[in-house]
Amino acid sequence: MKNRVITKKDFPKFVGRLTNQAEVYAPVQVKDKDYSRFGRIKSAEEICFSHLNTKLPVKELFFPQREVLFEFKPGEHSQAQPPPEIENRIALGVKPCDAAALEMFDRVFLDKEYPDPYYKERRDKTTLIGIACNQPGKACFCTAVNGNPHGTRGLDLLLIDLEDRYLAMPVSEKGEKLVTSYPEAAGKDLENQQELASKATKAIELSLNPKELKNLLDANFDHAVWQELSLPCVNCGVCTYLCPTCHCFDVTDEEYKGEGARIRTWDSCQFSMFTRHASGHNPRPTGKERMRNRTLHKFCYFPKTHEEVLCVGCGRCITECPAGIDLRETLQTLLQTLAPGKES
Amino acid sequence: MDNPYLPAPARIEKVTIENEARDLKTFQLSFVDNERLTDIGTSDSGFPIPATRPTTRKDFLFLPGQFGFLSLSGVGEAPFGIASAPHEDRVWYTVKKVGVFTTALHELEQSVVIGMRGPYGNSYPFDLMKGKDVVIVSGGFSFTTLRSTLVHLLKPENRGDFGKITCVYGARSPGELLYKDEIRAWESSSDINLVLCVDRLDGADWPKTEGLVPNVLKKVAPSARNAVALVCGPPIMIRFTHPVLKELGFAPARVFLSLENRMKCGIGKCGRCNIGTRYVCKDGPVFSYQELLTLPPEY
Ligand SMILES: Cc1cc2nc3c(=O)[nH]c(=O)nc-3n(C[C@H](O)[C@H](O)[C@H](O)COP(=O)(O)OP(=O)(O)OC[C@H]3O[C@@H](n4cnc5c(N)ncnc54)[C@H](O)[C@@H]3O)c2cc1C
Ligand code: SF4
Ligand code: FES
Repeated sequence: MKNRVITKKDFPKFVGRLTNQAEVYAPVQVKDKDYSRFGRIKSAEEICFSHLNTKLPVKELFFPQREVLFEFKPGEHSQAQPPPEIENRIALGVKPCDAAALEMFDRVFLDKEYPDPYYKERRDKTTLIGIACNQPGKACFCTAVNGNPHGTRGLDLLLIDLEDRYLAMPVSEKGEKLVTSYPEAAGKDLENQQELASKATKAIELSLNPKELKNLLDANFDHAVWQELSLPCVNCGVCTYLCPTCHCFDVTDEEYKGEGARIRTWDSCQFSMFTRHASGHNPRPTGKERMRNRTLHKFCYFPKTHEEVLCVGCGRCITECPAGIDLRETLQTLLQTLAPGKES
Repeated sequence: MDNPYLPAPARIEKVTIENEARDLKTFQLSFVDNERLTDIGTSDSGFPIPATRPTTRKDFLFLPGQFGFLSLSGVGEAPFGIASAPHEDRVWYTVKKVGVFTTALHELEQSVVIGMRGPYGNSYPFDLMKGKDVVIVSGGFSFTTLRSTLVHLLKPENRGDFGKITCVYGARSPGELLYKDEIRAWESSSDINLVLCVDRLDGADWPKTEGLVPNVLKKVAPSARNAVALVCGPPIMIRFTHPVLKELGFAPARVFLSLENRMKCGIGKCGRCNIGTRYVCKDGPVFSYQELLTLPPEY
């Protein structure tokens, strides 16, 4: 697949072509706030690339915070409704970390036995155009978890900002088709990209050994360090809501004036109600167990089942935690405390 | 595409009050689609119903130990162990009234149509149990999936596949024992050694044994040789049953328990039922004690 070039001058036209063939979603500035979020756009002017990343990951386009599974009339206890079909969509301006997270989602929602039809419909009908990170943020650590600021995993097309132009690197046929009419990239464009990529990679300091971490976490479930680590946590759950890889949900019914629906909403393992039995018994009764579960799910359980860490290093949980908990510090503390020969 | 979240229409054919406290009811369900012989394979709105989401009894294939979700529009859904055996026509659930959903369900009567989806999870290890003695230990209302198991094992075509069957089943008082007519019949059957017990007899003349399940099990002392034990009951009963089974010589790999972690999806996606790497809804609800010893104690 050939790399292409879209000049900044041509970019609005490029976006116009996209909006002619599909619903286009891109980061847009949220009114009166200091952040952006994915929203439907009609033209390039609406796109906002001035924030490091969107407040909410692109996961909300595939697994919305609240969605109707099906509707019913009161007293009607079973229904036969197909999941809604959607129009073709393009998500433009997805960061490599958030795109990679979707492939982890696929492992959960598109398993062989019970593929999730709501998620699948959105995934099948959406083309992902990424935008590379030339300047990772202070809390970013994608390279420590197998990611890359210029990574293409999960994307159909990656755009790289070369000041006066975008280098367009197709990843899939779907992505290639969108740029075939643009001029081929020159050797110098690719050199520029390489340089930007290596600069961005170097900007991230943290490095981890996920395998070592997995084994240590596995062997030290009962370690006293969890008590200490979980003390500052207020169990607000923001780390899980904003996480591009957190997929837990709740299912509840809503009824209003003769109309009802079964609703799926994001949920969080940081809440005590998440696991509480009707009898009051709770397998994860305190913040300690819940923080441990979140950490182990990402760095021990998921790796054991799927051979990869369930974290893409986007840093959202670090910048948003009201208690100032820094996942990088947590992981380093764990590595230091749990490694053999250290205090136990 | 198949939608695993959609419940199938199921009619309540019979409701039985099981206990004196009247907070345990058995609901016998049949699939509404069984009756619609003309349009089997398509739903009301015309799209085909794939067989992986059973909407007829014929497609609802399960083994004892598996569970289903019952659904009431406007109230929600909850998981319950299947209390009927695979060869029984209707699908039974015995439900204790404990909260929002179960209270709403308890208010429903015969002929109301509700929703049901499943079956989900694994079952008791029937392949392993073949040719072996089976020891069943149960306390309280969790006897449900073990009723399914016993009816399955005692079916004449199946009975020969298994060795001696011993069952210790206990409740707080005589009025709290489930499926009274059936267990009375099993008490006098030579196909099974059923020992019923209650914490306090309070002058009642049935059952014959007073005492807590673990203590009674100790007295009955079934042999562990070539045997498999299935245990289901409240956490406290399970805690005191383990040492007894150990003393009798049951290896952890031969003891199986059924767990009830909180569930929402039943299909390994909503994330809440995990015990370490294992999801109780998909990898369970039945686990060997040996496996549980390798997992975090989060159940
Ligand atoms: C595999 C399995 C098998 C089971 N088998 C059986 C069985 O055979 N028989 C049996 O009786 N039980 C069985 N159970 C237990 C049964 O599922 C629960 O008793 C049942 O779910 C309780 O539902 P409830 O709505 O009546 O209780 P509640 O405690 O009222 O409700 C829990 C529900 O209400 C909602 N809720 C309640 N309070 C709150 C709150 N403060 N905030 C948010 N949400 C709230 C929750 O979202 C949840 O859906 C089984 C459970 C499992 C996992
Ligand atoms: S954001 Fe911070 S305080 Fe909130 S649940 Fe996560 S770790 Fe705890
Ligand atoms: S019930 Fe949802 S993952 Fe098990």
